[in-house]
Amino acid sequence: MINLYFRKLTNILLCICLCFFMLLLTGCWDRTEINDLALVLGTGIDKTDDNKIQLSVQLSIPKAMGGTQQGTGGGGSGKPTIVKKATGSTIYDAMSRLQEKVSRKIFWGHNRVVIFGEALAKDGIRKDIDFFARHPEPRLRAYTFVSTGKAIDILEVIPELERSSAEIARELANFKIGMSVTVKDLLQMLNSGADSAALPWLEINPTEGLRVNGTAVFKKDKMKGSINDKLTRGLLWLRDDVHLATVTIEPKNTKGSISFNLLRSKTKLVPKIVDGKWQMIAKITTEDDAVENDTALNLMDPKIVKDLEKQLAQRINQRIRMTLNLVQKDMRIDVFGFGEAFHRKYPNEWEKVKGHWSEKFPEIEVKIDSKAHIRRPGMSTEPQGIPKNEVKK
Amino acid sequence: MIWGSILGITFVVALIILYEWPKLKQGSKKEKATVVVLTGAGWLLAVLLVFFPEMPGPTDVIKAIFQPLGRYMEK
Amino acid sequence: MIEKSRISSFQMAIMMYPTILATAILLVPSITGKFAERDMWLSPILASSIGFLNVFLAVQLNKLYPKMTLIEYSEKIIGLIPGKILGFAYLFFYLQTNGIVFREYGEFVVGNFLSKTPMIVVIGSMALVCAFSVRGGAEVIARSAQIFVPLVVILLLFIFILLVPDLEPKNMFPIMDKGIMPSFMGSVVPASWFSEYTLIAFLLPFLHDRGKGLKWGFISVFTVMITMVVTNMSALFLFGSITDSFTYPVMSAARYIDVADFLQHLESIVMAIWVAGTFVKISVFYYALVLGTAQWLNMSDYRTLVLPLGFLLVIFSLWTAPNLIEMVHYLTTTWVFNALTMQVAIPILLLILGKIRRKRGTKVGSTRND
Repeated sequence: MINLYFRKLTNILLCICLCFFMLLLTGCWDRTEINDLALVLGTGIDKTDDNKIQLSVQLSIPKAMGGTQQGTGGGGSGKPTIVKKATGSTIYDAMSRLQEKVSRKIFWGHNRVVIFGEALAKDGIRKDIDFFARHPEPRLRAYTFVSTGKAIDILEVIPELERSSAEIARELANFKIGMSVTVKDLLQMLNSGADSAALPWLEINPTEGLRVNGTAVFKKDKMKGSINDKLTRGLLWLRDDVHLATVTIEPKNTKGSISFNLLRSKTKLVPKIVDGKWQMIAKITTEDDAVENDTALNLMDPKIVKDLEKQLAQRINQRIRMTLNLVQKDMRIDVFGFGEAFHRKYPNEWEKVKGHWSEKFPEIEVKIDSKAHIRRPGMSTEPQGIPKNEVKK
Repeated sequence: MIWGSILGITFVVALIILYEWPKLKQGSKKEKATVVVLTGAGWLLAVLLVFFPEMPGPTDVIKAIFQPLGRYMEK
Repeated sequence: MIEKSRISSFQMAIMMYPTILATAILLVPSITGKFAERDMWLSPILASSIGFLNVFLAVQLNKLYPKMTLIEYSEKIIGLIPGKILGFAYLFFYLQTNGIVFREYGEFVVGNFLSKTPMIVVIGSMALVCAFSVRGGAEVIARSAQIFVPLVVILLLFIFILLVPDLEPKNMFPIMDKGIMPSFMGSVVPASWFSEYTLIAFLLPFLHDRGKGLKWGFISVFTVMITMVVTNMSALFLFGSITDSFTYPVMSAARYIDVADFLQHLESIVMAIWVAGTFVKISVFYYALVLGTAQWLNMSDYRTLVLPLGFLLVIFSLWTAPNLIEMVHYLTTTWVFNALTMQVAIPILLLILGKIRRKRGTKVGSTRND
């Protein structure tokens, strides 16, 4: 009898307990409603005069974003994003100051872009990158850039085509016209024995808005200089990062030029040590389609195409040589991944030169062995718009 | 806060005993004693930890035993 | 016998898979990477030899005493009092180790997702669920493993496949440029994880097809090894030389996934793998502890011990280390030797002594009643 009573009591107690546990299941402590969050789309980091960090974040305004999505007028009133800034000695310190000005919790999970100001980049970026790899919210996939002038200016640009300037920067990086470096890639570059890094150089053009214009070159974590758009192509060829490219050549013995669209390319760096001499052979193969021909050359003629292939390869060689002259000989910074290539093939020899790689690196003899294949002439055969008898055979 | 934790611990311990009691009643004296001793030890430990969170734990015992070997893995 | 339900050796294999792997794919790649660097994919292969050895030892011991667990036959082999002492050492080891597993679970959940939730809530809720499955007995754990493990494997595969576009196999070269030593050192910690295969000593007596125990045990070790090689490789191919700078490389890798700007933010999958896997892992440890304690005390039923021991486990998990740093340091240094002593050296000794005892026994002519 008592036993029965007892069991009843326990059962009731258990029921109460279970109800109580149900309350816990909502995850109360870490509950965050979406309308309590301020989504960071892009981050800019600048240096202040007193050696602190100025953090600027681009926050999305959900109301305006929704408006643009619906497409009907009247929805979005004004800008879809705002930029807020604060200073602090670390990024998180600055962020906590920033939080004082923002009514919603700043959320980093959707941060896609990290932009370093030029002054900060020259000072060193190592200490600022750690946050993006340590805090659980930001993602390693955010793209990194260096901006001319201040990073905050980039974030404040109000774009025409996209919703925010951070989105533009991300799309530009996605296209891979210039360098495209995620936080993870940047960490890997800084960690590799070559002690160098290369980041895309983001620039505001007063009339055209944002553009990626060249590459910022880092020695250790300090920016040492930049190379322009043209030279960046050479860098991309060597790093096997070319994905979207047009190559225009002006063929010999004729007027005008031909543009090719690159379909795919493959670069293989083959390090060699012959009699103590360090060599690097870059084997490049590309496949291209002709997309524009304003010369009088007939692109259906195998002989002409053979010749053009040679000139195309030469053109790539030139580009690479130009880049090598500046970056390898003058800047003496190994952003091509030569050091890593030697490390993989000659671990023992690498161990010896690791300490003074920046002296060894300029001495490396680079041989470029490029092959271009023109696959198709496009949708036309003979050059368009000129009489048949003027077409060169 | 401390008394709140102790109250919570006691509550959980009481629940455990209550939940097990119907079955234990049929069991031998030894089984009852075991459960009570184990739960009591748990209660005591938990309360001690509330008061002295820095109390050296089982980890420290094992550390003391295997310290000389553990040093090989330091890096 | 104290446990009435029976499981198959296939179920045992599937239970042991997450028991090793659940925690091994989170903290261990980073620890292995620290020692082995580019050769970290080799380490699990070396480490798995311990797993094979352990399965072999447990099965051989089980052949000597087919219906007994580790706690029971250690009394038979080395005598009552020493056996009780050894049994207590084992129980303490499993209590503490399971406390650490609880803590690893709590640290991961709190560190990555629920940063403001008190750890006691995270650990306590898991302890409660596991307590119910342990109360159900070996068969219940086995069946829940049968449901969870395929899920875990599919989700893991899903993550690896989505990672493929970002992987760079060249990160693994040069292979063994500093000899075998780095990968050997890197294999020590995974080896201590593999040594947890000793737990099958608590499951073998309840197999209804004991003859296949060895085969399925080996298959289980092999699949765990393959999975660890693949996880280590994908972390290495993605992160290269910075793999060891992440606390949870696989987690960071899953967060890196971005397929066509659409499939991203997949860390919840890692979380699902982890929670399902850890549930099985904790349950198996918990079961061994509860069963062992009941046998050590010669009790007729182990079910009444489940909740009191669960309470102790939660306390141990909070007590075991003040922070993640201390815990990882402990796991990489002293715990390794603790685990290898308890789970490899002592079983070897037990087996040798047991064999000797058995030989003498037959000489005298007494028939042993197991």
